[in-house]
Amino acid sequence: MHLLLLALALILVGGVLPLIVHRWFRLAKLLHLIGVTAGCLTGLVALQAVWRQPETLTTGWSWLGFCPLVLSLDSVTALFLLPVLLVAPVLALYAYHYLDKPAAAWRTAVSALCFSLLVVAMALVTLAGNMVTFAIAWELMSIASWCLVLYDFERAETRRAGTTYFLFTQTGALLILAAFGLVYQATGSLAFDGMAALPAGIKSMVFFLTLAGFGSKAGILPLHIWLPHAHPAAPSHISALLSGVMIKMGIYGIFRIYLLLGDPTPLFPQTILLLGMASGILGVVHALGKHDLKRLLAYSSIENIGIILLGLGLGMLGITVGNRLMAAFGFAGALLHVLNHALFKSLLFLGAGAVLHATGTRQLDQLGGLLRTMPVTGRTFLAGSAAIAGLPPLNGFVSEFLIYYAAFQGLSLGGGNLLLCLFTIVSLALIGGLASACFTKVVGMVFLGEPRTEHARQATEVGPSMRAAMVLLTLACLVIGLWPEPVLRLIFAGLRDMAPLAGITVDALGPIPANLALGARLLLALVLLVALGRRLLYRGKVIGRGPTWGCGYSRPTSRMQYTGASYARSMVEFHRPFVRVRTEAEPLTRIFPAPAVWESRVEDAAEIGLTRGLVEPVLRIAARLHWIQHGRIQLYIAYIVLTIVVLLLTV
Amino acid sequence: MESSLALGIALLLAPVLPGVILKVKALFAGKTGPPLLIRWYTLIKLLRKGSVYSDSTGFVFRLGPVVGCATALLALLFFPFAGFSPLLSFTGDIIVVLYALGLGRFCTVLAALDTASPFEGMGAAREVFFASLAEIGLFVVLILFHRMGGGLSLAGWFAGPQAISLAGPQGALLLLVIVALFLLLLAENSRVPVDDPATHLELTMIHEVMILDHSGPDLALIEFGAHCRLLFSACLVASLLRPPLAAGPLTNGLVFIGLLVLVYATVGVTESITARLRMHLVPKFILTSFALVFFAIILTMELV
Repeated sequence: MHLLLLALALILVGGVLPLIVHRWFRLAKLLHLIGVTAGCLTGLVALQAVWRQPETLTTGWSWLGFCPLVLSLDSVTALFLLPVLLVAPVLALYAYHYLDKPAAAWRTAVSALCFSLLVVAMALVTLAGNMVTFAIAWELMSIASWCLVLYDFERAETRRAGTTYFLFTQTGALLILAAFGLVYQATGSLAFDGMAALPAGIKSMVFFLTLAGFGSKAGILPLHIWLPHAHPAAPSHISALLSGVMIKMGIYGIFRIYLLLGDPTPLFPQTILLLGMASGILGVVHALGKHDLKRLLAYSSIENIGIILLGLGLGMLGITVGNRLMAAFGFAGALLHVLNHALFKSLLFLGAGAVLHATGTRQLDQLGGLLRTMPVTGRTFLAGSAAIAGLPPLNGFVSEFLIYYAAFQGLSLGGGNLLLCLFTIVSLALIGGLASACFTKVVGMVFLGEPRTEHARQATEVGPSMRAAMVLLTLACLVIGLWPEPVLRLIFAGLRDMAPLAGITVDALGPIPANLALGARLLLALVLLVALGRRLLYRGKVIGRGPTWGCGYSRPTSRMQYTGASYARSMVEFHRPFVRVRTEAEPLTRIFPAPAVWESRVEDAAEIGLTRGLVEPVLRIAARLHWIQHGRIQLYIAYIVLTIVVLLLTV
Repeated sequence: MESSLALGIALLLAPVLPGVILKVKALFAGKTGPPLLIRWYTLIKLLRKGSVYSDSTGFVFRLGPVVGCATALLALLFFPFAGFSPLLSFTGDIIVVLYALGLGRFCTVLAALDTASPFEGMGAAREVFFASLAEIGLFVVLILFHRMGGGLSLAGWFAGPQAISLAGPQGALLLLVIVALFLLLLAENSRVPVDDPATHLELTMIHEVMILDHSGPDLALIEFGAHCRLLFSACLVASLLRPPLAAGPLTNGLVFIGLLVLVYATVGVTESITARLRMHLVPKFILTSFALVFFAIILTMELV
């Protein structure tokens, strides 16, 4: 435990030092990188202790005499700490060459401090051992991430995204605090332990309040609206940290509260499964419809949160019906997907950042052909795309396989649970197919074909630290895909401290990890074999070069290529009641037509619904009540006094 | 030994059986048709040639055929032909196979997008859309077979005494599944009425347009992969049709080949007597198979 605290201190030092030495720009960035890396590596060493022996490590202080602060480290915590500690140093490495404007040295240093604060805050969220500690860590995390989103605060779009994020995160925190208040009222203690003894009604209220609160952080549909605005607004390594790691803290919250409540009512898993299906399918459909690279990736995070929820829901359902195997598979799949998604989503955001850095645009339909000029970025992005589409032999497949397996276990149930498992499988299959479509679109439009604009044509490969970061993450994806056994052992060591699955080991999976490894390696071997055969077949052959076959048309231009919008159109329209496709066009009328405009946008029904149903009425009421806000301080004080008097008299 | 032999025969037969489709179509048109081994001749011809590459393409374009062919081969490794135990089998192998085929499609589509041709982009868009729908249909079949006690592996379904087959106790349900799997076969392997492999207009193609720029051995790899995938789909249907004969391996194998010829001939008949669907009707066509199997699952909820 003390080693872990030392690790957090090192990360913080890595955040503070750049502020002091920000005049020496490179030194500041280097110190940040060293601090974060040293801290995270120390943290990973500290986690070793948890994997080895099954015990919960706890430390506590009393703050201000009445606030007990408790940190406790059990195996579930360690499991959620893993992605934080693994991904953060890689992102810091990427930032070394990504933030390359010495003129903005002060801002870079502040961003480094917020980065460190956010990493420490996320670690504290997972470590928090009582409600006060948790609430403080949660707020620290929200505020640090909010500051990071506002990095480019001069742009109005960024400020708007920041405000949206702030509203969502604070409303979510309020809901969580309300739930904690309920618990405190019922148990009279700030400790987490008392939750298991709550009456059933309060348990449900606590679960659903925290589900809404944590769900808004995780980006569960329909509370995801801030995510596609805030994630693209931040610098790319920050987007990677938010999308890859921070939203998982929402998942951690849901999971932790579920474990603490220990209530096997079927209502919880059923809700989680339905939310997972909605987030998964609609997330990927919206991702298909977006033409802004980073916004597309943000929607894809919502999809992956959906997949994680499906795994969690199946695990909870397994506990409800007493099927330990199904529970183990569901939870293991979900938790492995948490780690996997942290790896490949970070990789993809870093790739998007590299593209943005090299071309200055995030619009898919203005890019193209980058694989030739940016070979490392292109190849790593390709691998990340295959991983996020859940294709073997990469890591995304392993976690999706486990979730599938859990769902198939559930097919022996009866009634509504059977139907839920059935639809879970169908949703996973649909999500898989659509994710493939979505990421072939991204890779195809950005990296393949011919450059669509001059910016894309003049792109050059990014700096070595950025390339190294992307290569590291790609290797991690490949290693988990080809050698799933060690990671699965780690995940099961994480499940060990869960009461309903006490004593479970990786042996519960039987030969499955070995078989998955066999399948992945066999696939790789066959591909290499065929590639070798192909090389032999081409020995001594005449290889010609020519233009692409244009079906007889002799003057093709790069603007005639298929666009992302047309690629996705029929797939998006297929899901129409849930997504809106708005097309604006001026028809061609005269014989010699003037330049025409055609615009197509995919709109988020949840966002429109929230604007129409909540924001506009609130604004209307606020406009009516505007006379209350007049700027006279003495009357404001009178309001406060009046409120307190009324409260004292009534409560 | 039997397993390797069966796989070897399957690999030899994969390019022969499409000749059956051509023969049947020729019969309907009152022609003699090409020789039965036409696909083998084409493959050999292509293997002897060199290639022409478009200036727009890079390594992804060369990767597409390799991965496409390798994944199709992987699928056949797990298949229990005629009830012989396959070379490899484990619980969940069918999910691995379906996702590996997905990887093959992923790479083929990327290879098509690498050419910068609008036609290939159009074909790729249609391919991924229809494939994502067909995938749902296949997973519902998985659910049904799992509920019928077949577990989650191809060998568990089709090999051994408990094999799922039309002659088994739940055979009536399988009528629905056979029709559904046949529809999926047509959709996944770009046959009429979803796609027309013999069409002449690039605008209307799906699969064929994606491989317009491939030539020589690359094209041969794609074609061989496509033959293997079609064989895989046809074997799924044929395994369900197998009669419960307690005969020797030779008879079993011959019966199975006979059933495969029947499936391919049915494809030929379908292609001869139906016209292509308009593009916007294809999703409905594919989802019909989903509806059929879903109905079968609802029926098992009563039986179990």
